[in-house]
Amino acid sequence: MGTTASQLGKDSLAEYQELTFLTKQEILLAHKRFTELLHKDHKGDPHARVPMDRVLTLPELKSNPFRKRICHVFSTSEQKDGSLTFEDFLDLLSAFSDSATLEIKSHYAFRIFDFDDDGTLDSGDLEKLVNCLTGDTDDTRLTTEEMRQLISNILEESDIDKDGTVNLSEFQHVISRSPDFVSSFKIVL
Amino acid sequence: MVFVTCKDTVTGRACCVVLCTTEEQNLVKELVGLSTRDRIRAIRGLSMSFKEKKHIRLQSHAFRCFADCSENVSLVSVSLIIKQYNTNNQVLIQWSCFKLFSQSFRRCGYSIKSARQTLKLWQSIMKEIGGRFGTSVLSYFVFLKWLLMFNIFSFLVNFGFITIPLLVYDPSPNIPPNVSFTGLEMLTGAGYFTYTIMYYGGYSNETLVGLVKYDMKLAYFFTIAYEFKCCLSCFPCLCLSLYSMASSFKKNYVLADPTSNSAWQLLSSWDFSITNERAVRQRKNNLRVQIQESLSDKAQRQLLTLSEKLKHLGVYLGFWLLSTSLVVGCGVSIYYLCQYEQPAETLLVPFVVSLMNLVVPLLYSLFNKFEHYSSHRRQIYALVVRNILLKMSILAVLCYYWMNVVAKKFSCWESVVGQALYRLVIVDFLFLMLGSFFGEFLSNVIGTRLIPRLGVPEFDVARNVLELIYAQSLAWIGIYFSPLLPAIQILKLFILFYLKKVSLTQNCQPPRRTARAAQMQTIFIALLFFPFFVGSLSIVAYTAWRLTPSEQCGPFRGLNSTFSVVGVWMDDLHEIPGSQWVIWIYENIIKSEIFYFLMTLIIMAIIYIFWQVTQGRKELIGLLRQQIVNVSVLYMCL
Repeated sequence: MGTTASQLGKDSLAEYQELTFLTKQEILLAHKRFTELLHKDHKGDPHARVPMDRVLTLPELKSNPFRKRICHVFSTSEQKDGSLTFEDFLDLLSAFSDSATLEIKSHYAFRIFDFDDDGTLDSGDLEKLVNCLTGDTDDTRLTTEEMRQLISNILEESDIDKDGTVNLSEFQHVISRSPDFVSSFKIVL
Repeated sequence: MVFVTCKDTVTGRACCVVLCTTEEQNLVKELVGLSTRDRIRAIRGLSMSFKEKKHIRLQSHAFRCFADCSENVSLVSVSLIIKQYNTNNQVLIQWSCFKLFSQSFRRCGYSIKSARQTLKLWQSIMKEIGGRFGTSVLSYFVFLKWLLMFNIFSFLVNFGFITIPLLVYDPSPNIPPNVSFTGLEMLTGAGYFTYTIMYYGGYSNETLVGLVKYDMKLAYFFTIAYEFKCCLSCFPCLCLSLYSMASSFKKNYVLADPTSNSAWQLLSSWDFSITNERAVRQRKNNLRVQIQESLSDKAQRQLLTLSEKLKHLGVYLGFWLLSTSLVVGCGVSIYYLCQYEQPAETLLVPFVVSLMNLVVPLLYSLFNKFEHYSSHRRQIYALVVRNILLKMSILAVLCYYWMNVVAKKFSCWESVVGQALYRLVIVDFLFLMLGSFFGEFLSNVIGTRLIPRLGVPEFDVARNVLELIYAQSLAWIGIYFSPLLPAIQILKLFILFYLKKVSLTQNCQPPRRTARAAQMQTIFIALLFFPFFVGSLSIVAYTAWRLTPSEQCGPFRGLNSTFSVVGVWMDDLHEIPGSQWVIWIYENIIKSEIFYFLMTLIIMAIIYIFWQVTQGRKELIGLLRQQIVNVSVLYMCL
């Protein structure tokens, strides 16, 4: 614990505490886990990037059906390859932490569910979302008819301006009525 | 491009800040106007990447310190002044001492927050349970932990304010010579324990004179009252830590249609904290089944004919009648058993009570299988309400027996009641352990080896939470009669946690129905907490108000009722100058009926106003929705 703290620097730690929802313990633990993922050449570099497939070896993300989308959403890399720096990793943990606000969580949930990154959830996105959550193989998929009905139920419930897609405000509105969301949208190391 | 250089005490470097787009400038202008705490909170809540947040923070700090140092400089004039310099001019700004002080104060707050986290009990076990079984099972363990904390607090308060003064003043209990300690007392609570500080009878009614004058009567009365008040006011913390009762009530019962089986609620309740591969696959299967069921439910709901509806109604009424008669039968049999059991020191009554609490809910689950409820949620509510009725009536019968028969028959009746409660708590604990064995271990064996069709059992959150609440209400009633009963409860809850955890991980599978967990928790907590807590409180209040304390033992001997201790104290206070205001408050506010009448009127008026506001808002929401649709249709036409 002592060596990790000195690697991180008291001022950086204070800055991270101010800008994220994480506590000091959580930040130090995140730093420890992140440095384990780093290639040994990069271990001193504060701006080093960890490629996506190494991030996905974390046990908290390994079985998550949205793991690839999570990496893409929080990654700030130019090549859009889902690689994360330590600050991206802290962003991720902060959005998924206990103390994050509903607004932050719903904002990131929207971006995670938006598979084609166009800023709205249309039927294609919703279909991919349902498949992610119910199983993607042939015998576990919903039938076409069920899928169609489910998507029309979803749109009926959440599409307030009736344009056939769910935008961020509509999503946040429907999510705010779901009391399970804040407590389920959580990843803790 | 404009440069502003300032020395940032957080990172300790001089940094250059470049002011960029107008959007950012607007955001920064807003942030600068806030106080430091609000600004930090606002920046933390921005949905941007870390780098961008850092950038915004530096900008707002730069503006703020520039504005602080040059007095009466508005933000507009600051940016004008900066724009006047050309690109290579730099302005050095120093932080003021005041900023340093507020910063160290904030860092202190952070370290307190981190320290609190390390002290949390059982953190890793709860995380493991949450990861494998999801948040609804976890809520049971959170609730157990909260009860444990409350019991620890309760025990410390009781021990500190009532027991320690007595022990300091008179360390040796006055036990009659022919009674000695045998091991059996641990189970029955009678014999040797009767004369110790374990029960009400062991406390004296004197004013202890030592370093200060300590009135035992007042201490006892106010300590018990304080504990009940703390439980009531700590309860919102529990709700916040479970699932924010108020907001889910408001959002589910005001804005949403409570009968809709919302697709979004199913989808958005995916538990991201599950880490076990098998659990994830199971969840996916369960979710698919639930979605398919809800799709077919919606289609089927209109298909019931009138005769089928009448038939269902008849079946419901029949089973409700049957359950109520079971409850009445249990109550009556316990009453006669109490009267028959002489002397009242055997374990027969607690044994029968716990047996009924174990067997009758199983019968209710059986009834549930024959009734066909239209929704799963109604099924759970019916089961829970029946179980509550059973437990409350058993407790009511026991209390009636204690208040009416025991209070008149025995000389030191409060200790007798305390012993009865002690025995109930111990036997209840034994049965909880047995119940864990039968409920989970045997079901697992039956479900996997003997009848594979049944499958691995689920952890029944409803039943377990109810058992916890019942056990706790025994402790609540017992606080008055046996001040050290919370110690037993602490031990019980502590062992129960580990027992349930082992039983859960070895024998159960995660629950199949995942959605609606939080909503049901809300209803549970309201349904379970209020009847039991209010019931326990009213029993204790009735005892304190109406029943005559026993003559020979206890802190209230010789008085007409326990409440009269306050009257006696008020009379004593007449002699002490400077305490007139206490007497005035007592005479004119607590004792006058008009005050309570006025308070009730005011509260009712407030409730009515809020209700009307809610109705008005519902209408407004409907109108606004229509407006949105109209505007978007118009927009698409243009």
